[in-house]
Amino acid sequence: MISSRHNTIFDGVDRGTVLLYTLLVLVGCISIVSASFDDASTDIFSFSHYYMKQLVWVGVAWIAAIVVLLLDDRFYHMFSYPAYIIGIVVLVAALFFGKEVNGAKAWFEFGSFRMQPVEFVKIATALALARVMSDYSFSINSAGDLFKVGMVICVPLAIIVLQNDTGSGIVLGSFLFVLYREGLNKWLCIPILLIAALFIVSFLLSPMTLLMMSILVCTLSEAMMSGEWRSRIIYLAGLMGISILFYLLMGLIAPGAMDLYHCLLSVSLSSLALVAVYAFRTRLMNIFITMGLFLISMIFLPTTDYIFNSILKQHQRDRILSFLGIISDPLGTDYNVNQSKIAIGSGGFAGKGFLHGTQIKYGFVPEHHTDFIFCTVGEEWGLLGTLTVLGLLCALVFRLIRMGERQEEPFGRIYCYSVAAILLFHVLVNVGMTIGLMPVMGIPLPFLSYGGSSLIAFTILLFIAVRLDASTRQFSLKPKN
Amino acid sequence: MSERAAGFARMRILQAVVVFIFVLLGARLIYIQLFDSRYKELAEANVLYHEVQYPPRGEVFDRNGEFLVQSQACYDVMVVYREINKAGFDTTRLCSIIGISREKLDKELANARMRPRAARLVSNFISKEDKLRFDECNFEGFYTVYRTVRQYPRKVGGNLLGYVSEVNPEMLKRDPSYKVGDYIGMSGVESAYESVLRGKKGVRIQEIDTHGAIKGSYLKGAYDSLPEPGKNLISTIDARLQLLGEELMQGKVGAAVAIEPSTGEILMMVSSPTYDPDELVGKQRGNNYITMQNNKQHPLYNRAVKARYPPGSTFKLVQGLIGLQEGVLVPSNTYPCYQGYQVGKLHVGCHSHSSPLNLVEAVANSCNAYFCYVFRDILDNRKYHSTKTGFDVWKEYVDSFGFGRKLGSDFLGEGKGYVPDRGFYDRRYRGAWNSLTVISLSIGQGELGCTPLQMANLAAIVANRGYYYIPHIVKKVEGQDSLDHRFYEKHYTKVDAKHFEPIVEGMWRGVNVAGTSRRAALPGLDVCGKTGTAQNPHGRDHSTFLSFAPRDNPRIAISVYVENAGFGATVAVPIASLLEEYYLTDTIKRPDLLEQMKTTTVYYPSYDK
Repeated sequence: MISSRHNTIFDGVDRGTVLLYTLLVLVGCISIVSASFDDASTDIFSFSHYYMKQLVWVGVAWIAAIVVLLLDDRFYHMFSYPAYIIGIVVLVAALFFGKEVNGAKAWFEFGSFRMQPVEFVKIATALALARVMSDYSFSINSAGDLFKVGMVICVPLAIIVLQNDTGSGIVLGSFLFVLYREGLNKWLCIPILLIAALFIVSFLLSPMTLLMMSILVCTLSEAMMSGEWRSRIIYLAGLMGISILFYLLMGLIAPGAMDLYHCLLSVSLSSLALVAVYAFRTRLMNIFITMGLFLISMIFLPTTDYIFNSILKQHQRDRILSFLGIISDPLGTDYNVNQSKIAIGSGGFAGKGFLHGTQIKYGFVPEHHTDFIFCTVGEEWGLLGTLTVLGLLCALVFRLIRMGERQEEPFGRIYCYSVAAILLFHVLVNVGMTIGLMPVMGIPLPFLSYGGSSLIAFTILLFIAVRLDASTRQFSLKPKN
Repeated sequence: MSERAAGFARMRILQAVVVFIFVLLGARLIYIQLFDSRYKELAEANVLYHEVQYPPRGEVFDRNGEFLVQSQACYDVMVVYREINKAGFDTTRLCSIIGISREKLDKELANARMRPRAARLVSNFISKEDKLRFDECNFEGFYTVYRTVRQYPRKVGGNLLGYVSEVNPEMLKRDPSYKVGDYIGMSGVESAYESVLRGKKGVRIQEIDTHGAIKGSYLKGAYDSLPEPGKNLISTIDARLQLLGEELMQGKVGAAVAIEPSTGEILMMVSSPTYDPDELVGKQRGNNYITMQNNKQHPLYNRAVKARYPPGSTFKLVQGLIGLQEGVLVPSNTYPCYQGYQVGKLHVGCHSHSSPLNLVEAVANSCNAYFCYVFRDILDNRKYHSTKTGFDVWKEYVDSFGFGRKLGSDFLGEGKGYVPDRGFYDRRYRGAWNSLTVISLSIGQGELGCTPLQMANLAAIVANRGYYYIPHIVKKVEGQDSLDHRFYEKHYTKVDAKHFEPIVEGMWRGVNVAGTSRRAALPGLDVCGKTGTAQNPHGRDHSTFLSFAPRDNPRIAISVYVENAGFGATVAVPIASLLEEYYLTDTIKRPDLLEQMKTTTVYYPSYDK
């Protein structure tokens, strides 16, 4: 049986995906050469250069890819929970025993090698998510199952945020993409996205505005889901009216004790009890989910200041504020993004040519071989280069979606979508930050950025998808023989 | 909808999300890489370091080839913080060599520390000798850059030559070809001939890294250039005459200008009080400048081209010439003068002399009454039907002598003087005025204002019998065959040459036979001259003298104007006479007079307020 399924390990492997992968890694190597080439160095093949180190990682990555292809697809199914648990344990261990790099306690150090476990946790989480959601009895619209999914995503996310590696943590939020594909009500996706946006925007708005927006978003999206408009609008009006009355009353009893914000907050929170009773009697589960979201945002929003000032580090605060345009400091926080834009912008249409970039070579762009590797592409290869790289990445994401869609089993589909989501999010945030569309979050550009952990992890992530796809294709091809 | 179809619809939406994200990134890339050119400039600003090589500034010679302005090598001391010897160095010695205080050095080093690999200016105007001492000590991290500094061997012509200073921010905005740290001529010749004197900076473009360290030549030096030295100028000034002029004007406020009538070349231009041009050079420039600015006699104000003085009696020459040309006066006309000119209640006073006088005698004796008659005849000429039209005609004549406008010399900041026009009097007297109202113009008083340069030009016009060349201060620019063609054109007045003879005769008689200018007489030189004593609201009369010599083929025309020195003959005449003597004979045979005039000081209460 096994021998019949594995004629060669390349049977059913999606050649297009492998080609795209190879091209991206190649572009990455060329860019790392540009970013770290030193005219002054006598020995250009010395392993002290980043590009020579990266070549070793490319070799390791190929071996990893072949190993991934050699393993049976059922192995991944079985291995998903253990991998997830190991991932969590390693993350927690890193939290205690890890090495701090750039303010994030997210690294293990073995001799001269450093490893970032979070890169591998993405794989484990994707597998675990696929496993949970592919259960026979799983229903995305049941609150209990949704809670399980939430736990799978939020536990590693919370630990990663505790490691001060907020950027990598937020990557896990991209699984919303998968949840939507698997049938999550879109009226639930929208409040999640809006609340995430509100969290960022909350630095700009007063708590009162935020509270009112949360109430509106939650109530109206619930109304969208149930189609019951009348009662929801009456509820809203009642909430506002009672809050104002309460405020006036408080003004008479104890002037100055409560402002309008606290009145509205207490009234809306106490109304939740009534809403819960209503939801229980009408058996509308969506109301419970919306209520949960509202409560989460209530925990978040009034404590935004606390989160902002205590959990985020100074540099992260500055990045967010600078991105939102609240502070502007071209030589300080804005410096990285400005220099990055200068490097890319100065590339023009055709670029300055291989090894002829100046901004990267002379160190104006920080982290130019890791997180800002896209600058090298932009400066030396110009718009042609950047659009080519974006095209390759876009093609890969589309390829993954297609691979997901042709899976027989939900497990494979969910996994492929997870990979697509992670890639898409990385590209959006990484490329976005180099051109000033996104705040600076320290996450690498898949396959291009220098770094063993990242390259090997993304290779494994991708090739598991290829492996799962290959099995499906073998099955579907077999009967024709 | 089946589950499969629903999933398919959701896939489509997600694909749309993917496309949207990539299109967003792509569009932004297209914008910043193709349409926003500012990033290319910023990239160059990041990475290119323009190492400027300064050219020596052009030098200025006088008409006899003597140095007026020399360019002397001096050095800027720069530091690269990272290369400073960490073990420390002899700071006391460094400070003493480059002439700065310890505090200043510490401050500069603290600033240099911000960009430790970039070069930073520590001190400037280091002399060649100090530079050699500096080189001997071999301070690691410190080096010198070649610049030039102005030096004035004769120490003359402060306002004439002008001074040079670092460009200020407004100039940088006006002219982008200047960069911070460049020098620019601020006044006088330095400013007027800035474009030829400055030369062209050379540049070595080098690539630097983010720390400011030099990584190599940009494009193998394709855009590098060598400095082109500034061009030398030969000035029309006679340095020795200028020196004598400045010495004679010591202790007096005023101006003396001498012109070669046959060319319009300015031989001498003294504005008094003047200053030692070396004071506006080097480290002490700023302090000295402020001291001079606060000086109540305004040594930085170039009176020779800017001041507006009443010409006084010297203007009678113009009245006489206009009268002759207009035909209202013939040289044989005589007019009476009994201590002045009297019409009704109006009285213009005059000094005592015989009466009546003809034109020649009136010029020689500077009779006020005579020219009141002439002036009124010009204005009230029947053929113009009205005094006001007559006045317009008169003004046209006056303008043709170069009054009331800039002469167009190569000297920047030339004043216009002032000649009132008909509209001025119409406004002042609401239209009700006649030739008597403006009678003070006849003797060069009233609203009339002339610059000393315009008065010297008048002397040149009379010397030339009717024309002038635009006065100028540069004879030749190195590498140029000629000056602007306007300096070679004869500018004719509206008075014919034949009418000049009686005026010249009067000027000659005034000096050589009998008249107001007797002290100007020089045996064998046939000096001609006209004194002036100008009333003014600031105190005593201004003393002025307008002269040229010799009578035939004149070689020098001169105007001396001394504020508040009283009668023209007492101060202005001997000064002009000594200058003419020195210029024409190279010697001075009247050492007592020379000494007397040098030590004469005029008391100026109005400047001490």
